[in-house]
Parts: sequence; structure tokens; C-alpha cells
Amino acid sequence: MTEILTVLSKKKFINILPKLNRRHSTLLRVTFSSLILLCIIAASMLLSNDRIATNFDLKNLPPSMAHPFGTDWLGRDMFTRTIKGLSLSIYIGIIASLSSVIIALILGMGAATLGKAFDTFVTWLVDLFLGMPHLVALILIAFTVGGGAKGVIIGVACTHWTSLTRVIRAEVLQLRSAEFVQISRQMGKKPLWIAIHHILPHLVPQFFIGFVLLFPHAILHEASITFLGFGLSPHKPAIGVILSESMKYLSTGMWWLAFFPGLLLFVTVRAFDSIGENLRLLFDPHNAHE
Amino acid sequence: MFKKMKILSIILSFAFITLLFFGCSQGDTRFNDTRDKGDELILAVGSEPDQGFDPTSGWGRYGSPLFQSTILKRNSNMEIVNDLATQYSISNDGIVWTVELRKDVKFSDGNPLTAADVVFTYETASKSGSVVDLSVLESVEAIDDYTVKFNLKKPQSTFINILVNTGIVPRHAYDNNYSQNPIGSGPFKFVQWDKGQQLIVEANPKYYGKEPFFKKITFLYLSEEAAFAAAKAGRVDVASIVPAYANQEILGMRLETIQSVDNRGIMFPFVKAGEKTEDGYPVGNDVTSDAAIRKAINIAIDRNGLVNGILNGYGSPAYTVCDNLPWWNAETVINDSDMDSARKLLKDYGWEETDSDGILKKEGMRAQFRLIYPSSDQTRQSLAIAVADQVKPLGIKIDVEGKSWDDIKMLMHSNAILFGWGSHDPLEMYNLYNSKYRGVGWYNTGYYYNSVVDDYLNKALLATSEDEANEYWKKAQWDGETGFSAKGDAPWAWLVNINHLYLVRENLNTGKQKIQPHGHGWPLTDNIEEWHWN
Repeated sequence: MTEILTVLSKKKFINILPKLNRRHSTLLRVTFSSLILLCIIAASMLLSNDRIATNFDLKNLPPSMAHPFGTDWLGRDMFTRTIKGLSLSIYIGIIASLSSVIIALILGMGAATLGKAFDTFVTWLVDLFLGMPHLVALILIAFTVGGGAKGVIIGVACTHWTSLTRVIRAEVLQLRSAEFVQISRQMGKKPLWIAIHHILPHLVPQFFIGFVLLFPHAILHEASITFLGFGLSPHKPAIGVILSESMKYLSTGMWWLAFFPGLLLFVTVRAFDSIGENLRLLFDPHNAHE
Repeated sequence: MFKKMKILSIILSFAFITLLFFGCSQGDTRFNDTRDKGDELILAVGSEPDQGFDPTSGWGRYGSPLFQSTILKRNSNMEIVNDLATQYSISNDGIVWTVELRKDVKFSDGNPLTAADVVFTYETASKSGSVVDLSVLESVEAIDDYTVKFNLKKPQSTFINILVNTGIVPRHAYDNNYSQNPIGSGPFKFVQWDKGQQLIVEANPKYYGKEPFFKKITFLYLSEEAAFAAAKAGRVDVASIVPAYANQEILGMRLETIQSVDNRGIMFPFVKAGEKTEDGYPVGNDVTSDAAIRKAINIAIDRNGLVNGILNGYGSPAYTVCDNLPWWNAETVINDSDMDSARKLLKDYGWEETDSDGILKKEGMRAQFRLIYPSSDQTRQSLAIAVADQVKPLGIKIDVEGKSWDDIKMLMHSNAILFGWGSHDPLEMYNLYNSKYRGVGWYNTGYYYNSVVDDYLNKALLATSEDEANEYWKKAQWDGETGFSAKGDAPWAWLVNINHLYLVRENLNTGKQKIQPHGHGWPLTDNIEEWHWN
């Protein structure tokens, strides 16, 4: 009897945990990752600037309850700086990857619909940009524009549209030969009308996933060129700035200056990556049924 | 089977790595032990001179030229004493300077140093168009082999500093390659320079002065972090370090802090906005041209707090560009960290808070301006941020911004800039505050102008004795009514003098150091003949 009971309760216990299929777990992961990012943005708005004012009484403190990430050499709270830095990075990332994706969309669709000459030009342009190490191009662009957030955004936007352009071009080429497009053309619709009504809707998944997957790139590049000194002004609470200045203090044993911001940057980038990957699984017709 | 091999190889490689590290540290200690007794030194101090070691284009301007010797020099009390000279005299009108040279001086290649070399050095330097400013020199001539006569265009008391700072180069061995391979009559001779890595020098056996204890010195060019790491590992005998590392105890090393005039301060544009420089850069700033703002900031800053907080106590509050030098006026010291007086002053001048955004206003103008610091310099960054936070309660909003030196060049006439100066030559003070130097190079970028100050500065320059000159230098700072210090017009808010910090091997005696200038050179090695093991 008791045996039966335990077996039953075990079964019941198992039943409490919902049996997740692939779709459910994917959704769950997306929600969780988005929550982390939302928390960072919300926290950056809630935390007051007073916590990152200089306070020499509190300088160089290791992590504690009052200062979970410790404080730096000016007595600024590292937790506040990190969160504010990350959200600044997130804003920059959104603008940079969005403009990058839009460039890719325009060029990709143009290449596939505007005729042979334009296609050759776009393919050449893609090859040109792919042939160049993009960190170098990024540094050059950021330096020419004069540094700052503007430089980073323009730099990332100008260097990261290439692979997505290829994907979109291939997709459009395929769509162009699809029957519904052929029929539409036979019925006398203009190319622009076809592009907007028949081709563009099919590109939404590519657009969206491309955007999300570019995001971690943009943040990491913002961090790296700021780290190298070509990006944001060094007193801004940006994650690249925080990491680069922490290098100076590592040999004095202030590990918390680099560890927590680095960890949080990793978590953020990983969260975006996981959103992108999982969205692809949901949207992409080739994977959606799995 | 394979799996076992894999595990074994991992274990072995770990063991190997551990051994490797162990071996290294063993080697280090041995290295340490033998180092103390020799007559060789390894130093990691200061930065590498980009232009090489040619005194006619600026080498040795801060600190000592090392390879060359100068006509006069300053001793550890900052008094001027003879080096190559046996005596010098100045004519009553201050125009003609006559110098008698020692007769026993030889260059390291064996040729004697004569008046012709001195003439050659000064003629080359005045033609070079470099940072060595010899515009006051009309002509220089050799009267006989060991007497030199300098004819000036006008009297200039600071000319003596040129005699102190300019190393004499040999006429027979000077060519375009001289800066890469210098020959001189100084205590050390050049052996090898690996650019970006190291400079090796050896004692000059022909040196006429006191024979240095150390026969060979290697200068390593290391970044701040690398110098500290090298000191920690016992690989250098002296390392210059930043205040952030000063609290670290290192076995076998002691911390030497040397007072300096290596100062940092905020330059305020003195005139109202509107004009442009010849290059088209804007000049002036409406907010900082208001004396109340400049004075209030000067009074409100907690200089001691900055010293303790940012420099970890290794520094001193700065009140002028020349604190503690013979031409410094001690009356320029003000009571700072005084928020109430600053508030009252602002109110008296008509700055009031009319709405609730926490920023004062006067005739519709907000008390807000940009403070720009060179983004590569973390101490200046910290100072800028801290000052902005300190004056915020006053209702003055300072927007801190980091820029490259190229950008600063364009912005420095219309924005407050965190600059650093500090020289053993009062001419620097003249250039910073004289209206003649408005917008000239990096000097007087704020277009400061005060006719009384100009008058004192010119009188100081025209003085024929150092004492008389110092009297006028002091009056230019504050004469009881006006001046360029914080008590007077306050065109600058000087913040701190940064002590120069060195980790020095415990039993190495570096003699008595003088107040060090702005740290571009190697001020530490100025008295290297005196160094020895205890």
C-alpha cells in the first residue's frame, strides 16, 4: 500500500512540473533573458546619480551589503556604475544594430530586385567590407568621427551589415522566383508594390533575428573600442571604460573592479544571444516544428 | 587506453607548469641577492624622450641632461651654483653676460670643452626653433678659449635658467645623428639606446666632477603598471610609481616621496565669448569670465581632500604655479573648503537660484561650463570629477569631459581645462600670465589680462639680480591689492602638487633631492653622482 502511495506521490510530483516541449522551453528562455535585460534597464533608471558621486571616505571598498560590487578609487559605487554602464551600452547597441539591420535590408532587397548592375555593386561592397578586419575599420571610423557614442554607433552600423545583407539577398532571390510573386508580376503589379507587399513580410524573421543577434556584437564592440580608448569619454559609466580602468588596479588587488562588471557584461551578452537563438527556433519555418 | 593517456598528460603538464613557475621564483631571489653589491643600477623612471638626447632641441629641460653638463646648475636647495663655469658676471644694464669656463673639462671622447663649443651650442639651439626659447639672445661670442660673452636683446633675469638648463654639445662631434648618439662632458656617457625598451649608460671616466659610485645604469622604459610589477619582482632598483600603488608594501623596497611643483590646476577662460583665434578656434567663456565664479570655485575646493582622496596623501595643496620655489609668494595661500564664503561671494555678485534645478543664474545665464581633461590621464580625470562634485552644492554645474590633446588644442581658449605645469624657470610663470602670451601655444590660453600684473612681470624679467626679480615675481602673484593668484583675479584654480613617488631599493641612498619639476624628464637622476649603497 505504502509503496503504491509513494509511487503515486512521485508521479504527482513529476506532474507538478509541466512537461515542457521544445517550444515551451524556448519561450521560457526568451522570457527569462528578456527579464534580465529589462531589470538592468529599469535598475539603471531607478538608481540615483548620488551613488556615483565621488566620496573619498568610501574609496576602494571591497564588496559588501551596502556596495554589492564594491567601490572604486573615487568612492563611487561600482554596482551603480556597472548597471548604468550596461544600460548605456544597451542603448548604444540598440541604435547601432538597428541601423545596421536597416542598411542590410535596403541593400539586400535592392541587390535582388534592382537589376544586375546594382547587384554586382552590392556584392562587391559586401566583399570589400568582409575582406577588412572589422575591428580595424571600426576603430578608424570611430576615430574619424571624433569618438563618443556617435562614433561607436556609426562604426558598428557601417561594419556589421554585410553578412545579413547576403542572407537577405539570397532570401529575396528565392522569393522572386516563387509562384505568388511571378503571378503578381504577370498581373501587372509594379516591382516596388511587389517588394513591399510580397517580399518584405517574408523578411521579418530575418530582420528581427538579425537585429537581436547583432546586438551582442554591438555591445562587445562598444566595450572593446572604448577599452582601447577610441570610444566614449573615460569618465562615462560605460562598461568598456570600467573594464579598461580596472586593469590599472588589478595589481593592487582590487579584483572586484573587473570581475563583476565583466561578469555582468557576459550575462547581458549571453542573454541577448539566447533570445536571438531561441527566436530563430520559433520563427524559422525550417525549425519551428521541432 | 587513450583516456588514461590523456589524464596522464594533463597531470604531467600541470606538474611541469608548476615546476616552471617555481623555478622562476627561485631564479628571482638569486637575482635579488647579487644585485645589491654591484656598481650597476637598473631604473624604471620617467618616460622616453621622443626627440632623443640633444640639448639644443630640448633634452634635459626638466631635470638633468645626464650626458652633457651645463654652465650653471641648481643645488639641492635650489640655489644656483657653478657647473662648467668658474664665475659669471652680468653688466649693469643686464644686457651682457660673461661666463668664465673651467679649463679641465673634456668630452667623453677626450677632446677638451672650450668656449667654441658653448658658442656652437647656443647658436645651434637658437636656430633649431625648438622648445628652447632663445629669442632674447642677440649673439654669443668666444672672447678667448675659456670665456664666453652672451649679448641679449634686452635684459632678462630668467636667462640664467637657460644657462642652468642647456647642456653643452661638442662642436667637433655634432651632426644630424647627435640626438641618437650623444657625446658630452656629463657624469655618464651614452652606450646604447633600444627605442621603446631601454637606455644603457656608463660612467664617463673623463668627468671633471665627483666620480659617480655607479659605473653602469640601465634605464627601462616601462608603463606605470609594468614598472610596479618589475619592482615587485625585484628586477629594478628604482621604479617611479603612481599614487594608486603607493600603499603596497614591497619586500626590499622603500617608498621615497619627493616634493614637486608638478602641479595640476584648472585654467578658466578669462574673457567673454565672442572672438576667435587666428586658427579660428573660439575664445572666451561667459560663465568663467565672471570673477565670482572663478573665486568661488577657488574658495570652495577642498584641496586637502583632493590630496588625500586622489593622491592618497602623496602631494600637497597647490595655490600657484610655483609653490615653494624661491619666487613663490606665500601670501597666496587661501582658506579653502569654505562653502559659506563661496556662497556669499556668488550672491554678492548677483548669482541666484531662481528655479529649483539647483543651478545658479545671473541675468538669464546658467552657472554651467565644461571642464576638459586629457582623456589619457587618470589623475586629471579623477581631479576633474572630484572638483565637479565638490562645487555642485554651490549651484555651479561643471560638465566634465575627456578629450585628446588635439581636441584640447581647439577647445582650450573657450573651456576650462585641467592643465599641469611646474618648472624651475620662472619664465613659465611669465608666459602663463603675461598678456603678450594670450593664445600663444599652450601658454595663457584663457586670454588673462591685467596691466598691473603685466607691469610686475616685465619688471621681474628686466631685473638684473635674482633677488630683485623674485621680489617682482612675488608681487605679480599678489601685491596686497591685485595679482594673478586666487586672492587676486584667480584666472586659475590650482588644485594639487603631485609628489613624485619612487620605489627605491632599501639600501640605495639617492642623496638629497630637490623639489622636482613637472615630470617629463628624469628629475630624479639630477644628482646621480651622489647615489650609493648604504
